[in-house]
Amino acid sequence: MTRDELQDKIITILTEDFEFEQPGLDDNLRDDHNFDSIDAIELLGKIELILGVSLSREEKEKAMTIRTINDIVDYIETIENSRNK
Amino acid sequence: MKRRVVITASSAITPIGYDKNEIIHSLRQGKSGVAPLRDDGLLTKHIHSHVFGTVDYPIDYGFKRHFTKTMGPVAFYACQVAKDVLESSGLEEDFITSGRLGVAFGSTHGSPTVQRDIYKTFFNDLDSKFSSIGAVDYLRSMVHTTAVNITRMFGITGRIIASSTACTTSSQSIGFGYEMIKYGMQDAMICGGADEYDTTTVAVFDNLLACSVNFNETPECTPRPFDTKRDGLVVGEGGGAVLLEEYESAKKRGANILGEIIGFSCNNNGGDLILPNLDGITATLKLALKDAEIQPGDVDFISAHATATKMGDVIEAQAIDAVYGDGPLVTGLKSYMGHTMGTCGVIELILTMYMMEQNFIAPTLNLENVDERCSMLRHTRELTGTTTRIAAIQNFAFGGVNTCLLLKNGRDLNA
Repeated sequence: MTRDELQDKIITILTEDFEFEQPGLDDNLRDDHNFDSIDAIELLGKIELILGVSLSREEKEKAMTIRTINDIVDYIETIENSRNK
Repeated sequence: MKRRVVITASSAITPIGYDKNEIIHSLRQGKSGVAPLRDDGLLTKHIHSHVFGTVDYPIDYGFKRHFTKTMGPVAFYACQVAKDVLESSGLEEDFITSGRLGVAFGSTHGSPTVQRDIYKTFFNDLDSKFSSIGAVDYLRSMVHTTAVNITRMFGITGRIIASSTACTTSSQSIGFGYEMIKYGMQDAMICGGADEYDTTTVAVFDNLLACSVNFNETPECTPRPFDTKRDGLVVGEGGGAVLLEEYESAKKRGANILGEIIGFSCNNNGGDLILPNLDGITATLKLALKDAEIQPGDVDFISAHATATKMGDVIEAQAIDAVYGDGPLVTGLKSYMGHTMGTCGVIELILTMYMMEQNFIAPTLNLENVDERCSMLRHTRELTGTTTRIAAIQNFAFGGVNTCLLLKNGRDLNA
């Protein structure tokens, strides 16, 4: 999956499942869209489905620094790359 | 310090309607809300009772995902009726979030729909590679989910009471909320209960031979409180909330006073967890009168618990007879909508308040031939135009829990 495709997929999830309105790639998820820790855990479940792998505890903890949509896409690419090594 | 406690807003989602006028219409017309049991793809085919007190109309919730993500179906009912009472109360935002407003709200067992999904994952090993159990499934299913979703949605910071005592859940909520205000711990409380569509509850009562099974083809003919042909209860769903306020402050802010809670009692039978207990129930009725400092002759109407089980109705009739004789009119309101479980107390109190306001008492539906063991009471056999000054709302639960609320007509309090 290209970065653009991944980005579109995340935006679709955030719009349809998390009811984001017009999300921007560098919006602050918490301040601009009320995205909280519960949402973060829910999103990780969806990322597992996208990647088709179960995330480790360590990988999930790294997601807690995510602040923007760009961060989410970076995070997924990092996971993919580390798994493909 | 003892303060007076009044009701200044109410809302009920019931099998016979949501809108107040629709509910009153159903009561006046003898319209039943009992319908065929819906297929849940799991238990339905094993259950002998095929009837259910059903909320079968759409409700426009309009809640944002920010709130709904922690809500199971039961919390939708709870938050909707809480929203209604807050909107109609006219309370200021500053007060709602001040800590002086609390919540007493419960359900029989949280959200069985969500719990069922969790167990499906356990038993079927679904998606074992991934996080199949949602991050919020506990918040959506836990036993106090109704109370805390209400606080979350409206920013309420006062006391929380999340009673969960089966059929006395919401009558306890109202009673404990009343005591919070009466003794000065809170100035207002949102009180009530909710229960969602759930076949596991039907299955439990069905197994105990306590559910109605003889009217599966004619759901509107059951339940039949006090009738010779009664054959058990009908489980139902719904939600209800009342706003209780301290009388002086409600009056000062010009609130419309719908009624006054003048007494509450709650006790336990101290023994069997299922069988109704004459001594325990009789004591409850007397304790409520004592709390209200009134005499039995002051009570004009009794909303009986009257689930239409064979022994429950007889024991309750004996208790009413022992305390009140044949003075007050007695109606079993479950005859209209089945037994809405954790929410029955608040719904029956709200329906009683509606009837008080409109100067009528609805008859017990399906009461064609009174069981001679219950015949000593003054049953409401037809729509009766009358002024009710004080009513008793009686509820009893598995676990041997009994409650009685005494409600005074609010008409004179607005003067």
